[in-house]
Amino acid sequence: MQHRHLLPDEIDQLLDGESGVDVAPLLAHLEACPDCAQKLADARLVCESIEQLQHFAPSPRFTASVMAQVQVVEPWHVALTNTAHRLVPASRRVRAVMFASGSLLAIGLSAGVVWLLTRPDMALYAAGLAAGRARRVLLDATGTVITDAFGQPALDALRSGSVSRVALGGALVLTAVGLATVSLRAAATSARRARE
Amino acid sequence: MPAFLDLTNAPDADVVTLAQQGREDAFRELVRRYERPVFTLIFRMVRDTATAEDLSQDAFIKVLNNIDKYRPEFKFSSWLFKIANNIAIDFLRRRQLNTISIDGSPHAATAAEAEASAFDIDAGGENALDAMAAKELGSAIERAIGALRPEYRACIMLRHVEGRSYEEIAATLDLPLGTVKTYIHRARSQLREALEHLRE
Repeated sequence: MQHRHLLPDEIDQLLDGESGVDVAPLLAHLEACPDCAQKLADARLVCESIEQLQHFAPSPRFTASVMAQVQVVEPWHVALTNTAHRLVPASRRVRAVMFASGSLLAIGLSAGVVWLLTRPDMALYAAGLAAGRARRVLLDATGTVITDAFGQPALDALRSGSVSRVALGGALVLTAVGLATVSLRAAATSARRARE
Repeated sequence: MPAFLDLTNAPDADVVTLAQQGREDAFRELVRRYERPVFTLIFRMVRDTATAEDLSQDAFIKVLNNIDKYRPEFKFSSWLFKIANNIAIDFLRRRQLNTISIDGSPHAATAAEAEASAFDIDAGGENALDAMAAKELGSAIERAIGALRPEYRACIMLRHVEGRSYEEIAATLDLPLGTVKTYIHRARSQLREALEHLRE
């Protein structure tokens, strides 16, 4: 047993319910020292008084006020998953029919691809035909816009240019639009953070 | 995460995950769980019902609008208490209400100044909450807690009202563990001294 009174830290140790070899002599001292026992009892009383303090409640409209200012955002991947879940039919029979139809479609497409790969000349011819037709359709549909934005020479160049050039031009325009979108988004985000 | 999860009994981590997925009922559940502890902590810091409600709202809005930034290795409640405490401390600093003893400002030079700066806990008791708060604040322990430094008060409330460990309090308040122990020790000593007269 120790022959000195407990230090404040040691009373804290006992208050916090610590155990172990360090605590044993403190407990032994307490049994023989009414002063220290009284100090610990007083400290316990204070802690118990605090622990018995009640929780207060905010007003009943608190949750509504908070929720009115909270932005509930559904991330795109969650929205995509939820949409996919909604598209899957609840009935097992309908799901089986859909699965069978999808399988048949996949087999048909795979067979078509394999056939095209075994006949590369046919594949190239079909691709060129499809690209030429797509270019004509695209230019007919967007001719006015291209003329207004870039002038008649640009449209003529697109009509007479090769497919690869047209593709390159389109890629450049798309890249420019993408960069502009990203820049605008970054500017909007930084402005919002500055406001916050 | 099943969509039909019973939110009331779900652990915080699951409710937060659902909130991150844009489930509004999960946001509401988080508010329901913590509105009382957060309001109580802030109320005991600022000692004014309307201000405590405004600051509690600010804390929840800040946390819920940044729920996507929540790191799961940290307890959600610790994160929430940390922001609530910071908001309350900022408010006290802004308003220079570090002298929120209900007995009046210790910086008051005269008795009249002290009286003018004291909280009139009986005034404005328009509803049951105010009446209850006034009654609580009138108790000796509430007076003694009100006289503590805000940092001590936050530590002692988290330790004894919220039952947090020293480590959690250190993480919540961004303080070294040793500082938390010191603050709690000093707070206990000051409270013991303040309540000593009751035993005599």
